[in-house]
Amino acid sequence: MEFAPPKSLLDLYLGFLSIGARSFGGVLPWAHRVMVEEKRWVAPADFAEVLALCQFLPGPNVGNVSVVLGRRWFGPLGAFVAFTGLMALPLVWVFGLALLYADYSSMPAVKAVVTGVGIAGGGLFIGTALKLARPLARKPWGVALAVACFGIIALGRVSLFAVLPAAALIGWLAARKDLV
Amino acid sequence: MLQIAFYFALLSLVSVGGIPSVMPEMQRLVVDVQGWMSAAEYTQLFAIAQAAPGPNVLVTALVGWKVAGIAGGLVALAAFCAPAAALAYSIGGFWDRMRDAPWRKVFQRALVPITVGFVVSGGYVLATPQGPAWQSALIAGASAAALYATKINPLWMLASGGVLGYFLF
Repeated sequence: MEFAPPKSLLDLYLGFLSIGARSFGGVLPWAHRVMVEEKRWVAPADFAEVLALCQFLPGPNVGNVSVVLGRRWFGPLGAFVAFTGLMALPLVWVFGLALLYADYSSMPAVKAVVTGVGIAGGGLFIGTALKLARPLARKPWGVALAVACFGIIALGRVSLFAVLPAAALIGWLAARKDLV
Repeated sequence: MLQIAFYFALLSLVSVGGIPSVMPEMQRLVVDVQGWMSAAEYTQLFAIAQAAPGPNVLVTALVGWKVAGIAGGLVALAAFCAPAAALAYSIGGFWDRMRDAPWRKVFQRALVPITVGFVVSGGYVLATPQGPAWQSALIAGASAAALYATKINPLWMLASGGVLGYFLF
């Protein structure tokens, strides 16, 4: 079966709505399932290429995917429709949970559970970073730069706005010399 | 509210690697600089965003909500998403044309260690709401290891974190 763009803005909206609605525990797997496997809007290699760009751009990764693909298919309106479709249901969910939590947050048990969930979520970030770090395995300079960024930001509490330009410059010079 | 909009729009443009990268800076602003909430409350808001479906960028809506109600939440989310979305919008075609340009590969390689450092920082800041503690290290270490070494749905790690949190805190 061929891959074909969504037939209409409504089709696009409903597709992204279903991604947002089901994306417990991470949006990316569902974005892939809906767009590549169920709706067959984009070929797998095409999806991977768009995702690579969006991971490198600032901003929410899958949010950026919705903007890039929505634009490709329907122009500015498509970008807007895809993005709002993705966010609509999760936004309702998250505000609902937050209001619920506000009612119960005075209970120590509830607070303990939610804190545990948050810490586990922090752990997921660390696990993700370890996966991202695989290409650095044989590149001590790359590891050193990553560790330096961590020390300065997490432990030194220096602003990202100061660290990013400096780190980008160092990373660029190191990458040109094939050190990272 | 204007302050939130302005600051989140700036954060948007430095969020290479997505939301995890800017978690430390966002926490530094709302907890250390502005004093809008405690580090513990920040981690709890993040937990709620993780427990809901959808992109973890929704944590920006919750931070805005905490500071200035539902309207604040919508403003914070829009401010964080719009600049990055505009960039994605304008750069999409250009990036495809540069597919084989050498500088693009150099740039991508340069970003790997930086993103890794930023994302680990995000995890560390969220996992230490009351400063380093063995309970936090246990929960965060277990979920990091499970994510790295297995293909289990991350929701199980969050659920286990909740159970461990109940007994440890």
